[in-house]
Amino acid sequence: MRECRVREFFGKPAGAPRRVIVLENVWASLDGRTVLEGITFSLNEGTFLGVIGPNGAGKTTLIRVILGLIKPDKGVVRVMGMSPGELRHELHHIGYMPQQVLFDPRFPVSVYDVVMMGRTCCIGTLRFPRNADRDAVMESIEVAGLRGLEKRPIGELSGGQQKRAFLARALCLETRILLLDEPTSGLDIEAQENFMDLLARLKRDLGLSVIFVSHDVKVLARFADEIVCINRTMHLHGRPLEVLGSERLKEAYRCEFDFLAGAGSRDKMGE
Amino acid sequence: MLAYGFAQRALIGGAIIAVVCSLISFFVVVRRLAFVGMGISHAAFGGVAIGLVSGVDPILTAGGFCALVALGIGWFSRKGRIHEDTVIGILFATAMALGVVLVRMAHAYNLDLMSYLFGSILALKWSDVLIIAVMGIAAAGFIALFFKELLFLSFDEETATASGLPVKLVYYGLLVTMALTVVVSIKLVGIILVSALLVIPGAAGAQLSRNYRGAIIAAVVIGVVSVILGLYLSFWYDVASGATIVLVLFGLFLLSMALSPRRRYIQRLKRRVG
Repeated sequence: MRECRVREFFGKPAGAPRRVIVLENVWASLDGRTVLEGITFSLNEGTFLGVIGPNGAGKTTLIRVILGLIKPDKGVVRVMGMSPGELRHELHHIGYMPQQVLFDPRFPVSVYDVVMMGRTCCIGTLRFPRNADRDAVMESIEVAGLRGLEKRPIGELSGGQQKRAFLARALCLETRILLLDEPTSGLDIEAQENFMDLLARLKRDLGLSVIFVSHDVKVLARFADEIVCINRTMHLHGRPLEVLGSERLKEAYRCEFDFLAGAGSRDKMGE
Repeated sequence: MLAYGFAQRALIGGAIIAVVCSLISFFVVVRRLAFVGMGISHAAFGGVAIGLVSGVDPILTAGGFCALVALGIGWFSRKGRIHEDTVIGILFATAMALGVVLVRMAHAYNLDLMSYLFGSILALKWSDVLIIAVMGIAAAGFIALFFKELLFLSFDEETATASGLPVKLVYYGLLVTMALTVVVSIKLVGIILVSALLVIPGAAGAQLSRNYRGAIIAAVVIGVVSVILGLYLSFWYDVASGATIVLVLFGLFLLSMALSPRRRYIQRLKRRVG
């Protein structure tokens, strides 16, 4: 019964590309302070959308609004054709990687256990994992390139491997959409490259729609199909080169913006 | 010792309490709820005082009161934008102060009150053992049924919430389970020492295994061994049972640190001697 909404959404023959995420004039606030003003955009199926904006621009809030964790003050949010209320029962179709997983490195869980956590809502309350769940977990571990590390404690992995483990956790559901909030922050260049290559492959092979929040404009220029620039309001939405070459980008960041000179190095943690 | 009825009741009741407290202590350690345990257990003094003053069984009033304090800690720290430890500091001192005032008003400074403060496991009746067993099954049942949710929530609450889990419900459930466990454990070690049972087994278990399965099994074994050994020692040397149990627990914790694969203390020692 619950499955129907998502299957119905993707099952309908569509002349034009399906719009998996639609935001229309969305306003949202945090602690009484308006963080998003009149955000309007849509994400087509199979598209990799980069979200850029300065610290405190509301990028994380945007992700949380899409997930239904923050109720918008105004406007319409539709994810796979559903309102946030209806989406609550379909969250297993969305893979989410928060900006920073604040976990205790001594937490006594293995990579396998962490990825299995992603299956929690699929398994269902008061139930235990079945063979299908175990297979899905191993498959995600394989896809994320962590085969052979599944029994290692999560705290013993390198930063890049941990990010892959969290990506595997986001993938081991019936994932249609990936929401990634600065997933490569804190990684060295090689780990970042590996992560991005993996993501690009997954997007292609599984037909995932991806929203990728990042400060690293160079990475987005390479991998994103479209880029949205927000700083409270929407400043730009378009193809990477159109957005990154635009004069209005400076306006959004309120400073000179030289993305070719490595805006990524200005990457800061926390918004 | 086993020939005595009171000793049998103490061992059975103590073992059940040890299993439940050790299970909870795993989450207390990984979710850093040690101070919450302290807060709830000290608040029990207020609950016991309400019982002594009103004439209702103090275990019932303490149960209700501790559950309310636990929910209060959870609610305030989630809603009120106050840190958990600040809320606990406020609530547990207030609850104890309420207890002191009530006890004074009712002139209830007596042996009965002392038995709640320091435990009275040797005075356990079969009806008490039954209450402990029922509570134990309920608490262990909650943890078993919601184990994967509790683990996810303890590891990474943000993603757990985003994946649609009833995070708040499970968290409040854990707090109430802790509160009720504290209340039945008061019989064993008393209000003042009960928080040790909620922390030390989990801390020792975490030293011995890098996976939660091993850590939980080790915690339960350490908890049960400490309670049984502590009861035996207190019986033979005629010292306070609650305090003896806590000292044995601490001894086993030191041992688990020495044996911890993280520290490789034993290997290093061997190498130096060899």
